[in-house]
Amino acid sequence: MKKLILALSIISIAFGCNTANKKETVTIKGSDTVLPLTQKEMEAYQKKHPEAAISVTGGGSGVGIAALLSGTTDIAQSSRKIKFDEKLKLEESGKEVHEVLIAYDALSIVVHPDNQVSRLTREQLEDIFTGKITNWKEVGGEDLKIIPYARETSSGTYEFFKESVLKDKNYMNGILSMPATGGIIQSISQTKGAIGYVGFAYVNNKVKDIHVSYDNGKTYIEPTVENVKNESYPIVRPLFYYYTNLHETGKSFIDFILSSEGQKVVSEVGYITLNK
Amino acid sequence: MIQTKKIKEQIAFSVFRLLGFMVLGVLLWILGFIIYNGIGVISWEFIFSAPTDGMTGGGIFPAIVGTFYLIIGSTLFAFPLGIMSAIYTVEYAKNNWLTKFIRIMTNNLASIPSIVFGLFGMTLFVNTLGFGDSILAGSLTLGLLILPVVIRTTEEALKAVPKTYRLGSTALGANKIQTIKRVVLPAAFPNIITGLILSIGRVSGETAPILFTVAAYFLPQLPHSIFDQAMALPYHLYVLATSGTDIEAARPMAYGTALVLIVIVLLMNTLAGIIKKRFEKNK
Amino acid sequence: MKKFIDKLIEGLLKLSGTVTGITVLLIIVFLFKEGSGLFQSSTVEKGYTLLVNSENLIDKLSPEELKHIFDGKIENWKQVGGRDEEIRVFRFDEIFSIYTDDELGEDYALIPEKLGEVINTNPAIIAYVPQKYSPKNVQGIKELTQEKIGLSDYFLGEEWLPTATPAPLFGILPLLFGTLLVSFIAILIAIPLGVGVAIYLAEIANERIRKLLKPAIELLAGIPSVVYGFFGLVVLAPIVQKTGNLDLGETAFTGSLILAIMALPTIISIAEDALRTTPKAMRDASLALGANKWQTIYKVVIPFASSGIAAAVVLGVGRAIGETMAVLMVTGNAAVIPHSMFESVRTIPATIAAELGEAPSGGTHYQALFLLGAVLFIITLTISIVAEIISSRKMIKE
Repeated sequence: MKKLILALSIISIAFGCNTANKKETVTIKGSDTVLPLTQKEMEAYQKKHPEAAISVTGGGSGVGIAALLSGTTDIAQSSRKIKFDEKLKLEESGKEVHEVLIAYDALSIVVHPDNQVSRLTREQLEDIFTGKITNWKEVGGEDLKIIPYARETSSGTYEFFKESVLKDKNYMNGILSMPATGGIIQSISQTKGAIGYVGFAYVNNKVKDIHVSYDNGKTYIEPTVENVKNESYPIVRPLFYYYTNLHETGKSFIDFILSSEGQKVVSEVGYITLNK
Repeated sequence: MIQTKKIKEQIAFSVFRLLGFMVLGVLLWILGFIIYNGIGVISWEFIFSAPTDGMTGGGIFPAIVGTFYLIIGSTLFAFPLGIMSAIYTVEYAKNNWLTKFIRIMTNNLASIPSIVFGLFGMTLFVNTLGFGDSILAGSLTLGLLILPVVIRTTEEALKAVPKTYRLGSTALGANKIQTIKRVVLPAAFPNIITGLILSIGRVSGETAPILFTVAAYFLPQLPHSIFDQAMALPYHLYVLATSGTDIEAARPMAYGTALVLIVIVLLMNTLAGIIKKRFEKNK
Repeated sequence: MKKFIDKLIEGLLKLSGTVTGITVLLIIVFLFKEGSGLFQSSTVEKGYTLLVNSENLIDKLSPEELKHIFDGKIENWKQVGGRDEEIRVFRFDEIFSIYTDDELGEDYALIPEKLGEVINTNPAIIAYVPQKYSPKNVQGIKELTQEKIGLSDYFLGEEWLPTATPAPLFGILPLLFGTLLVSFIAILIAIPLGVGVAIYLAEIANERIRKLLKPAIELLAGIPSVVYGFFGLVVLAPIVQKTGNLDLGETAFTGSLILAIMALPTIISIAEDALRTTPKAMRDASLALGANKWQTIYKVVIPFASSGIAAAVVLGVGRAIGETMAVLMVTGNAAVIPHSMFESVRTIPATIAAELGEAPSGGTHYQALFLLGAVLFIITLTISIVAEIISSRKMIKE
């Protein structure tokens, strides 16, 4: 028994002493929207470079940028532009921030498949999510309470929606928040009166997407790849990687994503490639 | 008159029996649900390969390895420390304020919610001491979590060793430390091991302490060193159930992960039970 | 030499003994130090300031008022004590749509000047700008006094909106109520079930059943919280939704159900121990007096073990309050003061788990979360002390 403990200790110490390799794992943290893209890109990249060590964690764009600030990540993946004061904080701590645009994403508004409403204006969306409109009948649907879902405050999607659709107004009190996009899809598919917003790539046949109008009802646009590419769909956002200083593997990975191979993965995952 | 008394008793007993079986039923419901949905997913590939296709395929090997490393790390930290602490309070301590203080503190540590450990672990190990998100930080945090359990079970184990053993040893000329090393500890060993096994079960299932100290969403390469992040089973189940592009498609993976977790807990509990029984027999 | 080693070893052991004490003290220090820093911070988001025209009568605004103004709910200055004028909300980014990049100068050096112009020409304006770019000591511009976040803002505030602009709101009442509601309902469910099973195990069940049930309960205790959360999310929430004909299944009630199951093993094992310590003599005396088994149980054993059972319940509450993952996955996480248990709630542990990652180290959100951790720590500490007192009161009785 004692020998077993001794053996285990030696193995662990030997393992622990392998600290020389500390620098080689590229850490990526941040947006849950970018997460599936990063994961797929990692898989594709590692087929060509099997020795590359990359790790990715989600939590929301805010998590990634906060980690960049505290130095616990190499790359922050974000579905919103870095905020002014976040940039200031980084610069104040002596770090220079580099921004790389890696893809575009459309934000889809989704409802339960049985919901009769299929089009909404931006103003209606703003009123729904700030709590001014509370019943579907007010926007042409049945007499059913509207249940809006949002992401957690750490989410870039949350921030982007607030900026673009709510025009910077604050969400309503007591809005339900799901820790991740998948949770929103799940909840909406189970709840008749629900409405939420998710990255375009997450939409599946369990939910229905809404045609949106940003010109007060003159035209309603459906979120499709073509409509995003020809810029008619209004709720589109850029996806970024932010980093301060990066070594070989990290730079190579980013180059891969920007290459035609990497961009092919982008459209496979359901996002929009850079060369529109 | 006696009839109603008997009837009342019958009714009461039936109600309680019902409650007992309800609880059993809940357990079987939960286990059954996971086993039924998860068993089809378990395969060689599932256990030994990394996740692919955005977590909808492949396996959970990195998470299993990560949990394994965390188990080793946390027990390596908590066990020596916990055993030594228990030896002190049982064998050495006089009934002074220090001992009382230690006892109260150990009880308090045991009742602290796991998220507070996560918070503390993050601020002490990840930030202040600068270990970053790492197996080291995660192991230390988990180690602190199970420390009170280790101390308590070791204390019980040591107390259960009959006084006669110690007296006999001293009579033969051994000093205190020799007595402890050669007589008391070996006698208490099975119970201490039971504590170890139960702690392993605990560590493999805890999520909150590792959220901010070590957990990674996707790390297909296994961790190289203790300063790397790692995937872990409970965190993996959490992300499979709540994030990812296609929750529905990843659901089978989630069931499989839950099943692996349950199996680990079942195994540990059974192992602990067997050792306890063996020990009783030998007496 | 040997004596020296012996002393050394003893010292080492003593040191190990104090580790738990040191840890608890460290936890307290870290939590409270970081958390109390919140009250040194101003209410407006760090690095930003609020500017108004110096003709404006207002000198300061509360975080709630700020939020309502910037959300468009308060539209006129007279509603907050100023003149009868429509409020003109100005956010920093607007400067980029009023002036071109050239006009703003190299490195944006002219922004303060331009901002000054904008504010001067708009008497009813309120501008939310970074301190770095705010015009300093310019005539006609007034900076609203920055208040520090107050104790009542935090402990009595009714809204928890940590990322609201311009002034985040850190009122913990919704979180506190959410936590208490979920735990309270959970205990209501768990007490009859738990105490009942404890009685069954201790008094009624035969050896065979006890051999089956005890390991089953230990197994229930060992199931990880995230597995419970998974079960709650996938199985219980839809059931609750269908049965209650609710809008959605992620409610406080669903959370309570799962917490009740999780608290059961704690309650059962401690209550069972308490029941078993009833001296045989008391039971025999009761039986000798003609009582049957059931009467003995509820007239003699239970009252005797009552403080132990109470302690079991209290510890069960502690377990429920501190639970994180299962609640996070199942309660919907809406930060509102709940009106019924069929609404979504957000508990303290779930809030910490969900928000800690994104709070920049040292910022106000970070400090607020640490303070939450401190509050949670105090609650669970109090519960554990209460349980101690209850069970030691029993000792004194003897």
